[in-house]
Amino acid sequence: MSDGPAFAPPSGPAAGQAAGSAAPAEADAAPVTGMIAVNGVSKYYGSVVAVSDVTFAINGGVTALLGPNGAGKRTLFRMMCGLTEPSRATVHLLGSDPRRDRDVRGRVSLVPQQDALFDHLSAVEFVSIAARTQGVEGPDDVARWALEQVDLDDVGEKKVGEFSKGMRQRVKVASALVNDPEVLILDEPLTGLDPVQRRRLIALFHRLGDDGRCVLVSSHVLDEVSRLGSRVLVIAQGRLVASGDYRDLRDLMDDRPHRIRLGTSDPRRLATALVDRGLVGGLTLDVASVTVDTDDADAIGRALAPIAVELGVRLTEISPLDDDLESVFRYLVERR
Amino acid sequence: MSTVERPPAGTHRSVPPGRVLAISYRVILRQLTSRGRIIALTLLAMVSVVAGFALGQADAELDDAVRLIASLGFAVVIPVVALVFGGAAIGDLRDDKTLVYFWLRPMDRWPVVIGAALAAMTLTAPITLIPVILAAVLTGVGSGIVTGTVIAGVVGVIAYVSVFTLFGVWLKRFIVWGLAYILIWEGFIAQAGPGAARFALRKYTRSILVDRTGADLDLADFSLAVGVIVPLVVAVVALVVAAWRLGNQEID
Repeated sequence: MSDGPAFAPPSGPAAGQAAGSAAPAEADAAPVTGMIAVNGVSKYYGSVVAVSDVTFAINGGVTALLGPNGAGKRTLFRMMCGLTEPSRATVHLLGSDPRRDRDVRGRVSLVPQQDALFDHLSAVEFVSIAARTQGVEGPDDVARWALEQVDLDDVGEKKVGEFSKGMRQRVKVASALVNDPEVLILDEPLTGLDPVQRRRLIALFHRLGDDGRCVLVSSHVLDEVSRLGSRVLVIAQGRLVASGDYRDLRDLMDDRPHRIRLGTSDPRRLATALVDRGLVGGLTLDVASVTVDTDDADAIGRALAPIAVELGVRLTEISPLDDDLESVFRYLVERR
Repeated sequence: MSTVERPPAGTHRSVPPGRVLAISYRVILRQLTSRGRIIALTLLAMVSVVAGFALGQADAELDDAVRLIASLGFAVVIPVVALVFGGAAIGDLRDDKTLVYFWLRPMDRWPVVIGAALAAMTLTAPITLIPVILAAVLTGVGSGIVTGTVIAGVVGVIAYVSVFTLFGVWLKRFIVWGLAYILIWEGFIAQAGPGAARFALRKYTRSILVDRTGADLDLADFSLAVGVIVPLVVAVVALVVAAWRLGNQEID
């Protein structure tokens, strides 16, 4: 990971190096290398920039690609899988361009985000066709094996059109396992799964990662990422805004400036007391509340009750207004 | 869940084109086979049977019978049914985003296109040819019209399906563009003169009919060989372009 803060904005051209010990690439440094190597990639649709100058490399293990909806995760995945050509620079999987090199496509699997499947096929047929199109021998046996990995072996003969969203997700994951991929790219694979299946799939991803495969999973849900693994790439507004360890991302969420709404019977007196004690950087008064900006949410938390008692005011609400992923993304983008 | 183990050996190998073709044919044939679509298109095709029967009952002349087969069977039934199946063969996969399952695979893309076109032809041929040939028989004007209808029908199905498969690969609104081709280009602009008509498949199927029957029909003056060969060449070119396009386009 990087030499600076463990969870840091990428240096150079939005560069990050996940799942490896090398330092982040500098602007003029040699291209990054890895099982997945993304070197200064951009994608434009007319005047719209979907992905801008993103550089990172990933090797074996599980890495989470975290970003809000519309951040560019899907475009990045599509470029990695050769579904779309980068407008600038290159993406390499296992050292090859998946759009041009036919053979490397057999060593990679994608679980696409879209729900579409061949609904008229049974689960076994669907996964078996995936195996056949991957050049796998014994496709029917492999299909049953793959369905077993996702707990769908007992409903393999049912048509996938009759499946729930969670089951369809698992069928997609099964079809991605048939070729024993060295690189597995999963676009929001946990959507629609119940907690038990979510936990089991995450365990499956970890086993695959522990086996040396490169598993890249996208998500826009922080809680999912916390379970997916420690390595995180954060993308926002088409840029790689940070990369590093998940725990550092969590710390960042705690350490960054916070905005808190305090419901009270006397907002003006409470606000004055908080300013006098130097606990807030800024505030907004309302009829029954005061919204404060602070760098130290813990200090406010400790001081609030004694102040309320001292002033004789009643506290009716303490609500963090930005304790979500969107605000972390916003913060990361703004500080770059 | 069981522990992850390698599937049986044989992975990471390119898939032979023949196998790709067979898989895409099978999957797309089943994808195209919707009961509503088949019933609606069969009803459309049956209109030609009713018209042929009515003409036969009225002791129609040869020219009237050939005009009916050319204007209903070869100008409406075969092109429209070929558009629905040929366009949807790849177009539906692209629209519903299942094309991705034929994409990140160690295989060539051209057999996917051939398999798709063959699947569309498998459905288009019986739905169109049986009623149109039956209509030709029911007109009761001799065997020449039946022979001409069989040859022109087979050529028409192959050519129209191939062209509309290309439409499905290339164009998002393939049905609109296909109808524009059938109704505006072939039905209107190409009727204006022999120059434009040369770029309409309809002229070639009409020419085959006229060659076999000796009927008097406008814009149908090609020989049998030209009437057969040119549409088949167009079909091959359309499929080659479709394969190239599929291999280079962006996939959702």
